[in-house]
Amino acid sequence: MTECPECAASVDGGEKIVGEIFPCPDCGTELEVLKTAPFAVEPAPREAEDWGE
Amino acid sequence: MSNGLTLGLFLTIVRPEEKAILAAAERRGVPVVRFDDREVTFGLERPDGLPSVLLNRSVSHTRSVYAGRCFEHYGVPTVNAPDVLELAGDKVRTSLRLQERGVPTPRTVVALSAEAARKAIDSIGYPAVLKPAIGSWGRLLAKVDTAEDAEQILEHKEALASPIHSVFYVQEYVEKPGRDLRAFVVGEEVVAAMFRRSESWRTNSARGAVAEAAPLTPELRETSLRAADAVGGGVLAVDLMEGKGGLVVHEVNPTPEFKALQGTTDVDVAERIVDYALRQGRR
Repeated sequence: MTECPECAASVDGGEKIVGEIFPCPDCGTELEVLKTAPFAVEPAPREAEDWGE
Repeated sequence: MSNGLTLGLFLTIVRPEEKAILAAAERRGVPVVRFDDREVTFGLERPDGLPSVLLNRSVSHTRSVYAGRCFEHYGVPTVNAPDVLELAGDKVRTSLRLQERGVPTPRTVVALSAEAARKAIDSIGYPAVLKPAIGSWGRLLAKVDTAEDAEQILEHKEALASPIHSVFYVQEYVEKPGRDLRAFVVGEEVVAAMFRRSESWRTNSARGAVAEAAPLTPELRETSLRAADAVGGGVLAVDLMEGKGGLVVHEVNPTPEFKALQGTTDVDVAERIVDYALRQGRR
């Protein structure tokens, strides 16, 4: 369990893995998993112009 | 079993696709070496600890191409190969190649200045579609219905600083029945296909299009394989539209997402990708 860096809501690590992107359940900010033990997140990287498939 | 092979995974972020690939590798007993495209550095000498094969899943066109070149330099086979990423990641080069290979594709005109783009749009006729040469997810696409639209859109494009915005890729607007098609090619096989339905003219899954399974008709299979082969082959999502004269290929995506597709098929797409990559590692 950790806090969303944007809204401070509690965010649960669950089965998430390092690098995974998921939305904060409260504010919807996209978060990236930095570590799983202890669980730590930061805002996900912003989409750049050359991103795509 | 891994047979001593290791799988490299070059990525930006872990999306459901990368999670599925990691899980598929684990089921195969294949160790995975992860490379974060924001952290990795490349020297000129071959480093230790390289994987047998690299799956290049970076969402950044630029990073994927440069990393692909470096891994190629080290002698690591990559899926997709950097030549394929460079070509299919660029809509201009893709269109040229599709036309060279006789793969049906919408009428397209390229211009290198806003002034020339006005002429290009006029020559295509209205409505036309203006796309960035690089990038996807339906970003910065514009449907140009009138000459007035063209003026406004080109004015905005001219104001953007990046030189890539001075490449104007103009395509005919293909009337399609509220959907397009995506065929997922792995090597010599179309593993699955889906319709992407949308109220909008943009049918990208990233823009909320609804996916449903599409039958693999001979025309779909053949056109998709020809398009994939034209850009060099590998793991590719071929996007097609149902035009009046048959299927036309409008994009070939070299770092394809498949979350939406996976929801429409029993084929385990991630396993197919991992198996294909491992076959390249055995060569």
